[in-house]
Amino acid sequence: MSTLETLKSLFEASLTPSPTVITIGLLVVLFAPVLLHFLYSAATPYTTLPSVLLLGPSGAGKTALLTLFERGPSSPSPAQTHTSQVTSSVELAVAQETSYTTDLDATGATAKKFLLVDTPGHPKLRAANALSYLSSAEPTIKSPLASDHGAKSKLKALVFVVDAAALADGDALPQTAEYLYEVLLTLQKRFHGRKGSRAPASMPVLIAANKLDLFTALPAALVKSNLEAELGRIRAARSNGLLDSGVGQDDLNANDEVEGWLGGDGSEKFSFAQMMEFDVEVDVIGGNVVGDGPGAEKWWKWIGERV
Amino acid sequence: MLDTFEILTTSGVVLWSRTLAPVSPSVVNHFISDVFIEEKSSVAGAKNGASAAENPSYKHDQHTLRWTFEKELGIIFVAVYRSLLHISWIDKLIDNIRTIFVKLYHDELTKPNTTIVQCVSFDKYFDQQLHELEPTGGGKSDVRALQEDTFADDTGDDAPTGQSQNGASPGSSPTVSRPSTPSTSHLLVAKAGPVAKMSRRARKGQNAKSGPASSGDEATRKTKAKPVKRGRKWDADGFADEDDGVQLDYSAAPPSDSDAEPRERPGAVEEVDASTWGSNAKGKFVLKDLGDEVNAILAQENAKKGAATKTEESSGGLVGTGLSAISGLFRNVVGGKTLTKQDLDKAMKGMEEHLLKKNVAREAAVRLCEGVEKELLGVKTGNFESINTRIQKAMEASLTKMLTPTSSLDLLREIDSITSPSVTSLRKPRPYVMSIVGVNGVGKSTNLSKICFFLLQNKYKVLIAAGDTFRSGAVEQLAVHVRNLKELTAREGGQVELYQKGYGKDAAAVAKDAVAYAAQEGFDVVLIDTAGRRHNDQRLMSSLEKFAKFAQPDKILMVGEALVGTDSVAQARNFNAAFGSGRSLDGFIISKCDTVGDMVGTLVSIVHATNVPVLFVGVGQHYSDLRNFSVKWAVEKLLSST
Repeated sequence: MSTLETLKSLFEASLTPSPTVITIGLLVVLFAPVLLHFLYSAATPYTTLPSVLLLGPSGAGKTALLTLFERGPSSPSPAQTHTSQVTSSVELAVAQETSYTTDLDATGATAKKFLLVDTPGHPKLRAANALSYLSSAEPTIKSPLASDHGAKSKLKALVFVVDAAALADGDALPQTAEYLYEVLLTLQKRFHGRKGSRAPASMPVLIAANKLDLFTALPAALVKSNLEAELGRIRAARSNGLLDSGVGQDDLNANDEVEGWLGGDGSEKFSFAQMMEFDVEVDVIGGNVVGDGPGAEKWWKWIGERV
Repeated sequence: MLDTFEILTTSGVVLWSRTLAPVSPSVVNHFISDVFIEEKSSVAGAKNGASAAENPSYKHDQHTLRWTFEKELGIIFVAVYRSLLHISWIDKLIDNIRTIFVKLYHDELTKPNTTIVQCVSFDKYFDQQLHELEPTGGGKSDVRALQEDTFADDTGDDAPTGQSQNGASPGSSPTVSRPSTPSTSHLLVAKAGPVAKMSRRARKGQNAKSGPASSGDEATRKTKAKPVKRGRKWDADGFADEDDGVQLDYSAAPPSDSDAEPRERPGAVEEVDASTWGSNAKGKFVLKDLGDEVNAILAQENAKKGAATKTEESSGGLVGTGLSAISGLFRNVVGGKTLTKQDLDKAMKGMEEHLLKKNVAREAAVRLCEGVEKELLGVKTGNFESINTRIQKAMEASLTKMLTPTSSLDLLREIDSITSPSVTSLRKPRPYVMSIVGVNGVGKSTNLSKICFFLLQNKYKVLIAAGDTFRSGAVEQLAVHVRNLKELTAREGGQVELYQKGYGKDAAAVAKDAVAYAAQEGFDVVLIDTAGRRHNDQRLMSSLEKFAKFAQPDKILMVGEALVGTDSVAQARNFNAAFGSGRSLDGFIISKCDTVGDMVGTLVSIVHATNVPVLFVGVGQHYSDLRNFSVKWAVEKLLSST
């Protein structure tokens, strides 16, 4: 009973207009927003970093490349990696005319920070991870760990890692090209699907021909021509009355057919140059993550220029 | 014995690993893609944080993998060992390592945007656990193998570890710097050969080191510390060979060391001379020190677990439940609620009902729901997200993952690569052989003619083989299809013919002849029809194996009705297993999809049962009513609530 009494008296006291009650009330009213502001502004970063997306089939060396760049200053070798299941991102800094192995803190160069985002290459996980990022008109990437606070960043470039050694024999080429086709088609659709007159920002794509340290690896030029030929073949096969994929749906608008065709209309052979029409610039550069060879220096430079 | 122990993240980076015997990385890759991505293991428990004992072991290529998964941090702990061996303490090891690792590096692991975790010093914890759990009375050969391996590892790992230890606490440097060696030395006692070697080395170390030493005191102390600091190389037999050229003992550099522990000096020389090498007393001291720490961690975690269950039980009280109920309701609307089992149970029941209504077999529905529930347990809902929308989202992702094929399914491309192979592949062009199987009356011949129509439109030369030599009228039915198709596609340039041998012949022989005939006449594609058979009739099913061997089809497609319910699982399983050990189905055609509306659950049931992708979907009676399977379409239909 006594607790009820005290509660009652407290309640009454809080409602009587005394100076203490008024000051406490004022303090709460004034400082609550300030406190909330500090609480939330501290949790979210002020600047949104530009990001670069790593794509490619499983086993091409995406995660290895990511760790190579991340560990660059401390040890010039990538971590041991296995098949990825989730997207992961790494914050990196790039400065003009420096290699990824130079420690930027030491040189004191003005660096630009960006996020390098690694996606799983397993076919079952592509749709949910890599391709969903691309299909939105303004691709933004939520870092998986800070998902609550919406730490988004703007997508600046794509790096499509391919295994140049595996492309030499039959099976890997179609698989790789299929994925690349999906990616390029998504970019093209994104260009078509723009709203208003403002075109979406151009999206440079780097095809990183990895594993050039291996004896069986194809040089970058050959990787490019092989991929172009294969993409052309896929395009032909898809257009050749392969039954429409929107199963059973009667709303086959004419728009779909235009969008299903990758590259310039009516062209006989596919080439990456045709993608320029859609503000997609494609470069093919060779390199390797482990072993002796040209290394990853050129890729790093390419990323540095685009960020 | 244990071959490899790895700690890796779901993003694919190996945080820490100990390789005692080289294992191809593909073993772990296969493990990840089979268990976590494709979820092939029949137990849908891949995504929980249960202890290693509850997770089914995964076998691949003579190796057995035991594993556990820390969901919150996304870390997988895997132990790989030879399938021949039975290691009873492995589960305990994995669980303990998991507890210790998570405890030690939790803060580093939750940092965003980095993959680096500094865990070089984890070596000693692992060694401690390994020695504590490993039964010493076990087979001698096992002990021998382990000791070799541990030594091999020592040369690489211990120098830096020791150094960092010295830097941190110079007071106890010489002993602590070698955490694993004393323990290995007590294993060594059992073997004569290595012990002799060791003692020789120890003595040599003593001689070599006495030169630079400034005083007698220091010399004796150094001799004690020295033998453990030699670089070692390993010859083919696994025996230690010392390398005089490399000096691994960096701890001698700080001069303050020399005065740090004079009390340890007395027994050291005798012990080295007595060739017991590396005092047992001190060895135990080191082990015990680390062991205490580890045990403290384990005990603490156990206590925490106990406390957690207790608080869960005792969280009663009228005010408590009332408040939590209100805040639960509030959070249900606003989001940011951490999902518990109770929250999920009811909602998952509803989802299961929903799937069952969509004609998904119960087995598949239960498995899907269990997977989603485990995935969501402990997850926080987003802003203004209710539990049901979260579950919907997770189910969509999980259905998409299940239905998405692992490899590309471009039929035209495949045919092209077989009929006109690239010059470099060194293969001879041959006709592409496709056969169609299924239960009676599901639409095998109809779908065969639909595929034929599609191929003819792409200007292929197609041979249809009448493999149904049993049912009266089957051959004539195909003949009618062929006549129709000929007329339909005459002006488009396709060519089609029927190959038939009448009734009563062996279907496998007919198929084989048809393929030979097609190769001779330059056909691009051979489509083989087969007789319908009941999937639980052993006699009829057994002839399929012979058929697969004779005709060597590039693709075996099974036609399944969308109408069939729970039986679809058994159908798919039996047909998938009917072609012998080396062959399985390559894809499904789901017919009569137009008759079921959005109750397309059969799709999920059969993919769940076999992990074989759906290739085509039949949506009508016309030749053109065959569609590519679109995962998005199926998932939309399955989750639509009307």
